[in-house]
Amino acid sequence: MTVAERRVTVASPVGLHARPAARFVTAAAAFDGEVYLARPGGPRVSAASMLAVLTLGVRGGEEIVITAEGDGAEELLDRLAEIAACTAD
Amino acid sequence: MLTVLAPVTGVAVGLDKVPEPTFAQGLVGPGTAIDPRREWQEAVAPITGRIVSFHPHAFVVRSAEGRGVLVHLGINTVRLPLIRGFELLAAQGQDVTAGQPLIRWNPAEVVASGVSPIVPIVALDADGDVISRPVRGEVRRGEPLFRWA
Repeated sequence: MTVAERRVTVASPVGLHARPAARFVTAAAAFDGEVYLARPGGPRVSAASMLAVLTLGVRGGEEIVITAEGDGAEELLDRLAEIAACTAD
Repeated sequence: MLTVLAPVTGVAVGLDKVPEPTFAQGLVGPGTAIDPRREWQEAVAPITGRIVSFHPHAFVVRSAEGRGVLVHLGINTVRLPLIRGFELLAAQGQDVTAGQPLIRWNPAEVVASGVSPIVPIVALDADGDVISRPVRGEVRRGEPLFRWA
């Protein structure tokens, strides 16, 4: 079982709000394994839940920690990091 | 069964009429959208629960059972912090009752700023087939909009 972790800065000025969050959650939900999102040192939530991600309310410029467990975890984190680093809203 | 109320007064047109693919394709979740009447109005809570995310242009209310409904007041409104008239009537973390006014706004001001005032109402983390009886056409805020099985 591959466990991978990545720290990235959310670049969208609105943070992980509706559209960036939807892209992020859609990618995470398609993964065959567990994916979590947290602020550094904070409690982690499911990255595959829109409600959880919107409730976490990560703002633009904030750092997040993404953790994935399962086959292809590194590739998934590449994709999620790319979405988080996208400056579009 | 959770009854989701219309947060704004206008015409229910369906999510596919939202000029933003993320909503229109249901990536945010299933639901519907209301083209709001172009007048000052108060957007109300669609369900009873806690405000877990609160922005001038969007909010999420989570029920005691853990169901979250997202209401987005207009598309791209986040880029328009200077739009007049997004007055907050509640606060993040507050417990609210379905039908309670949360934000006072004027869709006409949003239109004047050059963006769509359409209001998606989305059941978060829900499969499309659990949404039933969506209203089409004229709807007033506080009236039933759809049911969430």
